[in-house]
Amino acid sequence: MEFEAVIGLEIHVELNSATKLFCDCPNRPGDEPNRNTCPTCLWFPGAAPRLGRAPLEKAALLSLGLGGELQPRSAFDQKVYYYPDLPKGYQLSQARLPLSRGGGIEITDEAGERKTLRIHHIHMEEDVARLVHQVEGRTPVSLVDFNRAGAPLVEIVTEPDFRSPFEAMEFLKALRTRVRYVGASDCSMDNGTMRVDANISIRPRGSGELGTKVEVKNMNSVRHVGDAIAYEIDRQRALVEAGEAVVLHTRLWDPDRKATLPMRGKFEGPCVPDPSVPVIDLSPEWIGRMRERLPEMPAARTARMAAAYGLSDEEARFLCAEVEVADYFEAVAREGVAPRLAMHWIATQLLPALKERKLDPGRSPVGPVRLAALLGMLAREEVNAGAAREVLLEMFDSDEAPEAIVGARGLTQQSDAGQLEALADQVLSQHPEAVQDIRRGQGKAIGFLIGQVMQASGGRANPRVIRELLHRKLSIGDEPG
Amino acid sequence: MDSVFVHRNQESAPPSKGALAGLRVAIQPNISVVGWPTEAGSRALARYRAVEDATVVRRLRAAGARLCGSTRMSEFGFGLKGSRAGESVAGREADAELVLDLMGECRAAGLRVGVCAYKPSYGLVSRQGIVGLIPSMECCGIVSESLDVVRRVLATIAGPDEFDFSLPEEPPPDFAPAACRPASTVGVLAEARAALPEAEKTVFESALEGLERAGFSLRELTLPDFPLFPLVHGIVGSVEASSSAGRYDSVRYGLRAPGAGNWNDMYLASRREAFGTVVKSYLLQGAFFQFERFASYEDACRIRARLISGMDLLLGQVDLLALPAPGSEPSDGRLREVCAPYAGAMFANVTGQPVLCLPAAAPGGGGIQLAGARRGDARVLEAGERIMNLLRRD
Repeated sequence: MEFEAVIGLEIHVELNSATKLFCDCPNRPGDEPNRNTCPTCLWFPGAAPRLGRAPLEKAALLSLGLGGELQPRSAFDQKVYYYPDLPKGYQLSQARLPLSRGGGIEITDEAGERKTLRIHHIHMEEDVARLVHQVEGRTPVSLVDFNRAGAPLVEIVTEPDFRSPFEAMEFLKALRTRVRYVGASDCSMDNGTMRVDANISIRPRGSGELGTKVEVKNMNSVRHVGDAIAYEIDRQRALVEAGEAVVLHTRLWDPDRKATLPMRGKFEGPCVPDPSVPVIDLSPEWIGRMRERLPEMPAARTARMAAAYGLSDEEARFLCAEVEVADYFEAVAREGVAPRLAMHWIATQLLPALKERKLDPGRSPVGPVRLAALLGMLAREEVNAGAAREVLLEMFDSDEAPEAIVGARGLTQQSDAGQLEALADQVLSQHPEAVQDIRRGQGKAIGFLIGQVMQASGGRANPRVIRELLHRKLSIGDEPG
Repeated sequence: MDSVFVHRNQESAPPSKGALAGLRVAIQPNISVVGWPTEAGSRALARYRAVEDATVVRRLRAAGARLCGSTRMSEFGFGLKGSRAGESVAGREADAELVLDLMGECRAAGLRVGVCAYKPSYGLVSRQGIVGLIPSMECCGIVSESLDVVRRVLATIAGPDEFDFSLPEEPPPDFAPAACRPASTVGVLAEARAALPEAEKTVFESALEGLERAGFSLRELTLPDFPLFPLVHGIVGSVEASSSAGRYDSVRYGLRAPGAGNWNDMYLASRREAFGTVVKSYLLQGAFFQFERFASYEDACRIRARLISGMDLLLGQVDLLALPAPGSEPSDGRLREVCAPYAGAMFANVTGQPVLCLPAAAPGGGGIQLAGARRGDARVLEAGERIMNLLRRD
């Protein structure tokens, strides 16, 4: 029998608002333990939660950025569970009335078809504290760091629209791009600001029914999400083919064993409204203001940039995948650099150099204005491409203007035909065999000769002038001695 | 015999200025005062001292009141077992006492010692810093011999609070007698009357006669759903309590049972030891409805909304409602016996309406409850004062 997988995702995104969800403590979980705390986020008796405006706005922007519809009324509930990372016994979460319903993301599936993966709803909740397990002497102890307690989270719950690990990975990448566009989170699975759980079941292909689902947690990269889903589909198929039933439970992905392993069930019950937290009533005016604050989203920006800068759809999409890259490109273009030259240099030189240095495009030591200055020199033939690459790398470690570096290093391009002619004559006399090849119609050898002249110039020669020079010399048959 | 106070304020009191200058106010140890023991009568909060002042405390101090201490209370203020609420006032050690009202305890405490007790409208008084059990029903009540003191204390502690977002943002109503149209009609619920034990009927009837002598015209009204109030209170209240009391888990404070091998055992053992029988029964009742009969809880929430609108309709027909005063608790009862005397008092916690309980409204000592519309506190207090004046003259 042929099976198909039915997959839905639950994605937790930690918002980057300056303050926590229900108090004014700084939302900086990474600080010295228990530094960013107050009676409210320590959950002391009598402390009242006070929903902050900043996290609500971030959550609203994120929802709109994913196509969701903000609900006129949403509310928080108490989600009961007992664990030392939650020393009040319940988490405040929008269990019944979520902030946003609907939405979705369009991806390209394996077959190259466009497919929309729908979002069921998006709700807000507070994060729990972080447990640190240590050994003091020989006694194991568990310490609680409350910096993360009460940090604002949204949970994005999708419809079970996914049919493959590939679709899940494409969805997550597109989701991350959009959330970064609205500036609500950096969505890093690596440092835990994005956490993904997958609900997976299988059924005979063509069947309309849903099989028993298994939840898989603990994936810390997009690749792991794909691997875990693929593993779980295979595991369930093997079970069904062996005539065994799939049991509803939760499993953890073990990246070392590349397998999912069952975890102990968590006690969970229905949620009760919390009267201490007022319901959130959003007016149409407020929702309208949030819509106005929504930046241009990736699809719209891709289309606009392709048209405005004469880029191919693929090039525009590449630039728009990261909002910082798109911003960077447009800043360079605003300085008057030809768009295709800017695109080419950002894609092939700047981004690889940043990646090598583990830097974000938004925090590049070489800003768009300095890169534009360098590319301007290139366009004016004041420096050649090879030298410009060297200058760019040097700019990463220096605040100097590219003109200054070019000057100091003596990299100004030699375009003077008179000066280059002597070098060309010298090279032609040193390589009679290459000259012979060209005469015999082997055009490739011209590249070799250009390279030799370039080398003789210390990398400063203008390749266009050399090429013209050599063509002229070889075609008029002025054979060197 | 245990003393009335569990904590006495030893700080010397400098001469004060303000609306409550010189007024002595006792509180219960579920109201946070920095450095004071704030155990709320429960071992689950053993040795816990508040780290910030409750809003009501800040406002009382700012108005010049002197906090004289906190009085012995029942566990989380649920019922009055072990509570000495009201005795600070009766013993002239305080001019007013703040007493938590979850199902009528503040009113019953006033009645017990023969002074006035007032439960304000829900949403008037900040709950920030109040260690509670039933967030949507509990309210800080005021016990005093004088309704003028009740009004002044209420005016001081009421109003929007930047630390409690659950309060409406609108300013509190004016509580001055002149600010309201005085009540002239008082409704009497047939169902409340019918539910009274024979022995208490005479007391209630003579209290009603007193109202007529004070110039109120009485009207009999019916609210067939009235018997549902205790049921709704029992389900919604216990579910809220069970969920909210999750924070009393012995991780950060309170009694921790020794010897537990793992976290789960620690929770179980600590909570088993920390809570008293009545509260534990109440929490179990709530857990039952939350996890086993959630549909009943949802039904109870819907019925609650119906009860609130039913009460609103009645209070469109009359200015106030008169109801029998709560009964008195047995000295040592189980959950059912503890709750039974409050059957006729819980309505106000379910609806959030204001209620004044007057002692000795009838010759022979029986009390009466006067309930008003939500945020109609001024009218309730004004009517109460007229009745008190009449009683004094008699």
